[in-house]
Amino acid sequence: MKKKIIVNPKKVSKVIKKSAVKKITRINLEDKIRRQTNAIRIRDGQLKQGEDREKLGADRERLGADREKVAEEQIHIQTKAMDSASDGIFIIGAKKFNFPIIYANTSFQILTGYTKNEVMGQDYFLIYGVDADLRVVEEIKVTLRQGRPFHGEMLNFRKNGKKFWSSLRITPVRDARGIVTHFVGIQTDTTLMKQRNLEIEEQREELLHVTRVGKLAEFVSSLAHEISQPLTAILAYAQAAQRILAGREPQLQEILQYIINDDQRAAEVIRRLRYLLKKNKPTFESIDINVLINDTVTLIMPHITAKNITINFKLDNKIPLIHGDRIQLQQVLLNLISNSIEAMESMDGQRELMISTLSKSADMVLVEVKDSGYGIPAENMKKLFSHFFTSKTDGLGMGLSISRSIIEAHGGRLDAKNNADHGATFYFTIPINMKNANEQ
Amino acid sequence: MNNSNTIIYVVDDDVSICRSLSLLLKSHEFRVETFTSAAAFLAFKHPKVLSCLVSDIRLPNINGFALQEKMAEEGIITPIIFITGCGDIPMSVKAIKAGAIDFISKPFTDKKLLESITLALSKAKVLNKDQAEKAKIKQRIATLSPRELEVFHFVAQGMMNKNIATKRGTSLQTIKIHRGRVMQKMQAKTVTELIHLAQKAGITSSSD
Repeated sequence: MKKKIIVNPKKVSKVIKKSAVKKITRINLEDKIRRQTNAIRIRDGQLKQGEDREKLGADRERLGADREKVAEEQIHIQTKAMDSASDGIFIIGAKKFNFPIIYANTSFQILTGYTKNEVMGQDYFLIYGVDADLRVVEEIKVTLRQGRPFHGEMLNFRKNGKKFWSSLRITPVRDARGIVTHFVGIQTDTTLMKQRNLEIEEQREELLHVTRVGKLAEFVSSLAHEISQPLTAILAYAQAAQRILAGREPQLQEILQYIINDDQRAAEVIRRLRYLLKKNKPTFESIDINVLINDTVTLIMPHITAKNITINFKLDNKIPLIHGDRIQLQQVLLNLISNSIEAMESMDGQRELMISTLSKSADMVLVEVKDSGYGIPAENMKKLFSHFFTSKTDGLGMGLSISRSIIEAHGGRLDAKNNADHGATFYFTIPINMKNANEQ
Repeated sequence: MNNSNTIIYVVDDDVSICRSLSLLLKSHEFRVETFTSAAAFLAFKHPKVLSCLVSDIRLPNINGFALQEKMAEEGIITPIIFITGCGDIPMSVKAIKAGAIDFISKPFTDKKLLESITLALSKAKVLNKDQAEKAKIKQRIATLSPRELEVFHFVAQGMMNKNIATKRGTSLQTIKIHRGRVMQKMQAKTVTELIHLAQKAGITSSSD
């Protein structure tokens, strides 16, 4: 800032004398120059003859030298600063048709993988190798040719081919006449930041999902548990009353039955809610279906023996491991087996349950649950697997439709057919574990 | 079945469940005792009649599984039926493997509950019978003299008289006499019967 300094001539000579004696440090050099400039200006105005003019000339020269020194230093500091910056800084010439690189700081070299020697004087756009996004490169070229600044984020490739994301800002540098002579570019490696943002985004999604589903699931789960208590009690009360009123009060009996039906309807809703909330995505693993069948039968064995049912197995021990969710498949087996048990409930004759496994094809295993009951009436066949179909008097009818969904989610099919002699067979296919198959 | 000679124990922290199940089972002529905690159930003096336990899993302090364990520890052979509002298959497998008769989800019909109770009571009958027999056999064993007890052990292992004599360093005749007394005291008519009795009492390994 050039201020008009009104100086007392007497004081000025004192200052000059003082500065001559003092050690001139760098910091004071500018001050010194300023003062000297002022001093010389004043002296010019009070010019004496002869020797003063010479001295003035010498002082002027010294001042010039000092000024140069400061300028040099400033450039030195600025260059050092640019080179120390962690962002890549480069300067390209704008007068020629190509854009030669005339300066590239250390970070730019590290970022792009090119050394100073490799890039100096080279066309800036050669930095972008074959893998670079040509659209963006064209965009930059067009922008620069129009003398406009460019700002964008793009995927780059280092000299060694390694990928990195960078944020690029190229700004025009104009001379005194306003013509663009150079461009200065700043390139920041945003790979890490981008990755971190991605991770944060993913985590947030996951957290939201888990929180939403988790909290909701937790809430509904505890709600279901809480509600099932009074539902149980209501059911027991109504059924107790029915028993006490056995053979009497038909109207009250009817009302009680309505209470029971609606109670069971509510129970179904709870059951369905619970099922929906269980993580429906099956967690797959390699399973020996024969072992799973044995485990499941063990679970239900007391009921089998209590009902005087004979159970036979025809399990092919050469079948490969299947690919499935253990818990869900067990659910299906339990459903089919208990259905078969129910089907033979009122049978007087032979009660036989037969479970068999065999290789259906190169990539599927077939499981059959066969009973010796009365079979499935023709009119029920179609509705068998629909949500609320049931032929049991106090049954809930959810089992088969859920079982079918589970099997389909596994990539198999669940179906039923009537046997040639008597009874019905429920059968499903399950894909084998291909990975294991390939290893065998 | 004459239900009045049986007790169904119900353990559930929900008072409504206790009351409604009590009414339901009483309408089927069972005797019912209800408790809102496992501790209360364990503290109760159980009369020696046929019984089974219907219990929730979620209970204050001691839950259903812990109760099952405690009963096993204390030699309480009452069969257990679990009822629960929040069960899943792993839980049910665990319960059954630990000896439960059944694992029922709430809400359940009276039919379902009664079926399980019938199962449980028939199991209880068998268990009680076994337990009574075992007690009787142990009583008889207590009347054996030390020598007789020794001979009993050897015979239970299937050793022949002459081998026992050699082992004990006594005469064959002495062994025969001892064995005779053992058979008498144990009320076994044949050696095979004696071996069965030994197995039932849990004496199968040698105790030299």
